[in-house]
Amino acid sequence: MGVLRPRINGQALTTLAVLGIVGFLVLLPMIFLVEESLNVGDPMAFPPVEFGIANYIAIFEEDFKTVWNTLIIAVMATVMAILIGFTLAWILTRTNVPGREKLERLMELPYYMTPLVGALAWAVIAGPKSGFINQMWKAVGGTNDIADIYTHFGIAWVMALFEGTVAFVMISASMKSMDPALEESARVMGASKLRTMLTVTLPLVMPGVMGASLFVFAEMLGSFAAALVLGIPGRIYVITTAIWDSTLAYPPDYGRASAMGLSLFIVMFAMLTLYRRMIRRGTFTTISGKAFRPRPMDMGRMAWVLFSVCALYVALAVVFPIAALLMTSLQRFATVILSQAQWTFANYEVALSLGPVRTALFNSIMLGLGVATVGVVIMSLLVWIIYRSQLRGRGAIEYLVMFPQAVPRLVFGLALLWAWLNIPIGIYGTLWLLALAYFTVMLPLGVRTLAGVVLQIDKSLEECARVCGASWGYQMRTVTLPLLKPGILAAWLLIFMACVRELGASAFLMGPNAKVIAPSIVNAFATSGTELTAAMALIQTFTVIVALVILFRVARGMTKELQ
Amino acid sequence: MSVTRIEVKDLIVRYGDQVAVNGVSFTVGRGEHLTLLGPSGCGKTTTLRAIAGLEQPSGGSIRIDGQTMYDSTERRSVQTEQRGVSMVFQSYAIWPHMSVFDNVAYGLRVRKQSKADIQTNVERALDLVQMRHLADRGASKLSGGQQQRVALARAIAFSPTVVLFDEPLSNLDAKLRAEMRVELRELQRRLGITAVYVTHDQEEALAISDRVIVMNVGVIEQIGTPEEIYNRPRSRFVADFVGSANLIKGKWTGDDLFLAEGGVTLKVVASHKPHGRETEVAVRTAYIELEPRDGDNQVPGKVRQRLFHGDFVQYVIDSAIGPLIVRRPPINLLEEGAPVTVSFSPEHCVLLEA
Repeated sequence: MGVLRPRINGQALTTLAVLGIVGFLVLLPMIFLVEESLNVGDPMAFPPVEFGIANYIAIFEEDFKTVWNTLIIAVMATVMAILIGFTLAWILTRTNVPGREKLERLMELPYYMTPLVGALAWAVIAGPKSGFINQMWKAVGGTNDIADIYTHFGIAWVMALFEGTVAFVMISASMKSMDPALEESARVMGASKLRTMLTVTLPLVMPGVMGASLFVFAEMLGSFAAALVLGIPGRIYVITTAIWDSTLAYPPDYGRASAMGLSLFIVMFAMLTLYRRMIRRGTFTTISGKAFRPRPMDMGRMAWVLFSVCALYVALAVVFPIAALLMTSLQRFATVILSQAQWTFANYEVALSLGPVRTALFNSIMLGLGVATVGVVIMSLLVWIIYRSQLRGRGAIEYLVMFPQAVPRLVFGLALLWAWLNIPIGIYGTLWLLALAYFTVMLPLGVRTLAGVVLQIDKSLEECARVCGASWGYQMRTVTLPLLKPGILAAWLLIFMACVRELGASAFLMGPNAKVIAPSIVNAFATSGTELTAAMALIQTFTVIVALVILFRVARGMTKELQ
Repeated sequence: MSVTRIEVKDLIVRYGDQVAVNGVSFTVGRGEHLTLLGPSGCGKTTTLRAIAGLEQPSGGSIRIDGQTMYDSTERRSVQTEQRGVSMVFQSYAIWPHMSVFDNVAYGLRVRKQSKADIQTNVERALDLVQMRHLADRGASKLSGGQQQRVALARAIAFSPTVVLFDEPLSNLDAKLRAEMRVELRELQRRLGITAVYVTHDQEEALAISDRVIVMNVGVIEQIGTPEEIYNRPRSRFVADFVGSANLIKGKWTGDDLFLAEGGVTLKVVASHKPHGRETEVAVRTAYIELEPRDGDNQVPGKVRQRLFHGDFVQYVIDSAIGPLIVRRPPINLLEEGAPVTVSFSPEHCVLLEA
């Protein structure tokens, strides 16, 4: 027999505790960041003694060029990403292109390859002078370089290819939710396929496309990896790389970096809020949330043309980059002219035997294992509190948990760096800080994945167990956890992968005794040869791919079980 | 049926500032089949879930076999699993990660029965719903009708005295629904289960219940046997929602007389004590004859439209008291335009509460 009163107090206590801990992890670093951005005295002083807005004014006076670069690159990348995403989404959801399901799965690969690996690969393919394209051009008699990836367009191109996949996902979701009868009635009235596409499909998915554009643009503003690899050699700085650069200067200008980071955060946050409002108001849901059986249009012989468009994308975003990295990593001096190639495994041997590299890889994998395991347990608890309990204040918890999503990784890394430099607990420069940072930035990813599974499970499955006489613990053990198992595994793997490839936050938090793999790859690219870097990038990619294969297995098993 | 099994008193359930159930009281006798009937959003499912302990009421009390399960004045609420009731869910809630056997055995295992007892009881329950041959099948590989049967077997396997049904047949197709109705009724009688049954299907409610409660916007409109509800609807809502009826406007003129619009006086009965402000009577479409009968209310009219439905024929008759819908057996068909005398007994002309 439960008596009502004490239960309410217990709930309040739980809520407060959870809010306190999550708030400490998520909000405290941001508060430190705000304070530092207003520091106009000695940048290393803590707490700051002189306050002012000079750091913000400097953005417009001294870094105007950087802001301009950021805008140009983000606009170019967004336009390319949306064009690619729309074309592919239309082909794969509305036409009978051959091999549709296989192609659709391939579309996810560029995202898993990560922009860092993509940028390195394209540096190999289209770098000036020694890039593969230029080598081939000269081999057939050309004299000047014809390709240069170290340009505004080059950076945008890599961003669009490897970070723009979200545009495809969002646009194809809105196309899938459109009733095919709307198109069919246009055909019945006598419109051609092209006319139907332009007069019915396009206007109907336009809101979805607008939403995707806004979202992708915000992402591109905060993008770091491509600009770091491809921008710095050509001295093209964007905001994220400028932040990075000002912390490397001596003395490091944390005030300046904080002001830029916060400005970037505010702009991105505003855009994401606008995006969310658009989605929520319902004006932008296409027709209805009902799922329709897809009835693709028969494209006849055109279908093969559409197929080659998809194939071209896969080639540019997956096949060529991987092939280029493979070739490079297996040679003493990278060349695409096979008669001059000197094949060797030396780069892999070096990568795996070189102390720092091996430690970095080992650290990354250990961090991935640890953060994924501990994280999944805590996140499951959070998901249960947010979506299944009656706790008051669970909305606030959800908001806090999702907050890191709105902060560019790099800015969050900077905030954590500054916070833990000044909190008198000695975890700065250790793997513990990295673990804490990873856990915090992975919160939205993990909670969203787990919530997706929890929401799929009909509440009555749990209620029925209670009605049958099971206590809460027995119900959890026999019904809830077994049903959640595939979802928990999937979340674990996603977090593991995200940890192994993490760059933005790691770049700031890595210490000489706590190296991780992604920043080490960037360092290798800057200091040693492309060949070694390529080998390291492939080792990292291979680790992610193994996890990915397991993930697909799990996902397939999961859909089978729940059908 | 003389002994009260469930007693619900002044039950109030709120969602935020919305009141889903607003002061509902009723009792269910031992072995009785009671149905909560109403349109979606009327509070019937919420009432049922409150009995199960899945919904936290904000007022009133619920007692089962004399034991307090919920009481707002005592601030007491018994956990769902300790109430000893069983339930069949609208979505069936068959656990997809277990076999049919494990699903049905769940309640028995919770009650720590011996292996042998579990085996016997599960088989007995599966026999009752003719599903024994599928005991080892994974639950995710069942059709809708089969899931329905497994859910039923699971709900009765641990011999509960009270079973709650939340629209259990609403996801089945019409034919299967009619079959399951017959089986459910038989099973409930044979096992002597006390059943509280929620549905929005008036036909189903009338067919399988001992008593029906018609609900609307969180309150009870009428409680009665299916015959009482059908023959003596108390309100316009009940007359309209249960079965099909003609509503005739006019004025109660005292005793058993009603002056209908068009100046025709009808003899009526009332299911309540009239207070003089009544303005409507209801006449079931099935109770109207199209030829004069002695002692009946008689009104002249003309066939405007005939719709042949197969099991019955529906006529629209233009009469002195307005257009009337009449359902007759599909024999002796009348042509459109034919003159008729509409005739119905005063017993079937029910004065509605204002």
